[in-house]
Amino acid sequence: MLKNYLKIAFKVLLRRKFFTFVSLFGISFTLVVLMVATAMLDHLFAPLPPEVNQDRTVSITRASMFGDRSSWSASAGYRLLDQYVRNLPGAERTSFFKSPDQVYSYPNGNKVRVFLKRTDGEFWRILRFDFIEGAPYTADDLESARLVAVITRTTRERLRLGQTAMGRTIEVDGQRFRVVGVVEDVPRLRVIPFAEMWAPYTTVKSDSYKAELLGEFNAIVLARDRAAIPGMQEELKSRLARAELPDPKSYKKLVAPLESTFDAMARTDLRTEDSHSERLWLMMAGGALLFMLLPTVNLINLNVSRIMERASEIGVRKAFGASSRTLVGQFIVENLVLTMVGGVVGFAASILVLRAISASGVVPYADFRLNYRIFLYGIALAVFFGVFSGVYPAWRMSRLNPVQALKGAAR
Amino acid sequence: MIRHYLKLIWNRRRSNLLITIEIFFSFLVVFGVVAMAAYYGNNYRRPLGFTIDDVWVVNIDAKLQGLPGNQPNPQGIIETGRQLRLAVVEFPEVRALASCFTVPYGNSRWMSTSKVGGREIAYSMDGVTDGFAEVFGLTLVQGRWFNRDDDAAGWDPVVVNEHLAADVFDTVNPVGRTFPQDKPSPGEKQKEWRVVGVIREFRQDGELALPENYLMIRVRLDDVESALSLGRLPIKVRPGTTAAFEERLVKRMQEVARDWSFEVEPAIDMREQKLRDTLTPLIAAGVIAGFLMLMVALGLTGVVWQSVTQRTREIGLRRAKGATIPDIRTQVMGELAVMATIAVLLGAAIVVQFPLLKLVGNVTAGVYAASLVISSLSIYLLTLASAWYPSRMATSVPPAEALHYE
Repeated sequence: MLKNYLKIAFKVLLRRKFFTFVSLFGISFTLVVLMVATAMLDHLFAPLPPEVNQDRTVSITRASMFGDRSSWSASAGYRLLDQYVRNLPGAERTSFFKSPDQVYSYPNGNKVRVFLKRTDGEFWRILRFDFIEGAPYTADDLESARLVAVITRTTRERLRLGQTAMGRTIEVDGQRFRVVGVVEDVPRLRVIPFAEMWAPYTTVKSDSYKAELLGEFNAIVLARDRAAIPGMQEELKSRLARAELPDPKSYKKLVAPLESTFDAMARTDLRTEDSHSERLWLMMAGGALLFMLLPTVNLINLNVSRIMERASEIGVRKAFGASSRTLVGQFIVENLVLTMVGGVVGFAASILVLRAISASGVVPYADFRLNYRIFLYGIALAVFFGVFSGVYPAWRMSRLNPVQALKGAAR
Repeated sequence: MIRHYLKLIWNRRRSNLLITIEIFFSFLVVFGVVAMAAYYGNNYRRPLGFTIDDVWVVNIDAKLQGLPGNQPNPQGIIETGRQLRLAVVEFPEVRALASCFTVPYGNSRWMSTSKVGGREIAYSMDGVTDGFAEVFGLTLVQGRWFNRDDDAAGWDPVVVNEHLAADVFDTVNPVGRTFPQDKPSPGEKQKEWRVVGVIREFRQDGELALPENYLMIRVRLDDVESALSLGRLPIKVRPGTTAAFEERLVKRMQEVARDWSFEVEPAIDMREQKLRDTLTPLIAAGVIAGFLMLMVALGLTGVVWQSVTQRTREIGLRRAKGATIPDIRTQVMGELAVMATIAVLLGAAIVVQFPLLKLVGNVTAGVYAASLVISSLSIYLLTLASAWYPSRMATSVPPAEALHYE
């Protein structure tokens, strides 16, 4: 039966080439936009290297102090992390690092801007960078505030260090660093690992950061397993509740949420407990649906027209006893075949579009790619789209009056 | 005529309803993109209020954002700042120099509000030194700019732009009057702000931003409170100065202040970054909308074509009764035009609600109206273009054949 449907479907597609082209154009275009958006989200949130342990990693990227009248939001300060985030129960490793600074280097009179992230040694053990040369610096380098640095492949190129940068000295932000390692580029949108150069945080010019409760530091905590995360969050919350605040008259409460990158993005207000990640999911799904609205109406219109053209065929089938349900089923299958073909075309086009976006450099170091996850999403979207746009025309078709349909005078 | 079209449309109401819905959604999409573009376009042609030719901005990171009450040695910082300025001015390439909190095209903004006659007036502000007007080429329409004599005054001189002057002082000449400040928090003393001059415009976020209320207050570098937070050092350099000078400048500043970090950025680069950040979403939306409209146009062509084929006999009959070819074409296009009108009216009725419900901020009525007109015209163009080819097909079958068409 299904084989027959498929055969008819392909025959119909080939009969009116203009209609088929227009339908396919709409379907593929819609899927391209949705798949490109999915690929970008995947690029943001999926556990790609260097964030290989992302499923059991949580981070602190923002902190706030609240009072009755005033609030103060920033990144966490070193003192907050040092006093309250170390040794959380269930934590396997904990790393502190400064938010990246834009710093400058002037090799041979050219100006090169570099994002420098100052970290500790544990940073390299939670995140797995791909080293082309050398190795990361260690806790010992941090302890002795050695001016050592890891740079990316592109930074090596931009600073004109040739093929081997190991052991070379670079002058950045008025300080001279010795290069100990070179890693592959990291996408800009991966906020936790991203930088173009890394150095121990003890090399900052002034150690005033040590006294800061709010400041420019972030933390990542690798939990032993996923189940340990809620316990760590509770413990941190109760530690912060007992924290001594520097100015208790103006500020009464200290908040520093420990959460996944997605939850952190969904959070709009640090004061509320809930991170609103469900709301962000709903908003993304709602956006996709809203976008699909116009293409769906377009496809429904085309489908209705096509069916009316086949009125006499439907009349014959009805006259010979085909039930409405059979006809609806047949039409939905036909529409699914169409959307699947559109899906394949769209998938191929998405590869080209993503390649163009990556190459355009709109997002530095972005390498948007399609993978099996996105492919599965794409298939799901195509099926959804196919059913969504096929139901109404199929219902219209099944309600045709066989006598009128046989005469080809459907309205 | 139109009543006749309406009757014909009503006869095929189910298919036509879907077509109308499609045109309606297309209208909303087009309107969204057109309104966004019109908004930026309208802003772009307004005066900016400053120039950034040969302006470089030095950002100073003196690591001062500590805890309240945890500021390290303020006098030392003031002294380092003073030496830093002297060192910068010494370069022959530097023509003028200023200090300020925020700069045009920068990412920070200082907002304030004042109550005037029960109304809350919001404005952006900046604390600047005397050199600011020269660096950014400000021209005054009334009064004067700050100068050294202001050191002796017992009040803080401020310069406002015309918008703010009109908002606060209405038609009265603001020069020499006291600017109403927000009430200070208890225990805080407050100096009088006196307007000494008026500038025409100052749009901090640049060409694509709306005109805004702006106030500049003169800051003194020997004042502890303000000197600590003056993190921007805009300089005007000689035309033709290259990046090589930048390196020398940073090296020299680094010598004076070893613990601080410096970042030098030509203002023109900051401008470009700002424009790109603002326009990228618009371009992305425009490209997607463009493809959507192409899809709709092709889709409508298919639908109208199909309906014309189905109505071959009806059209044949009309022609047999004396309708000319242009008559038939007008009919096909006219029916779609009537549906487009219904969709556009519906869309306009919904879109007009947004300003009434205050869902869109800052878009002026003129821009809104212009966007409505442009997007309606685009929709008509789109639907007529879609109907054009099918309308020709409708008349390609001779009436005699059409009458017994199956």
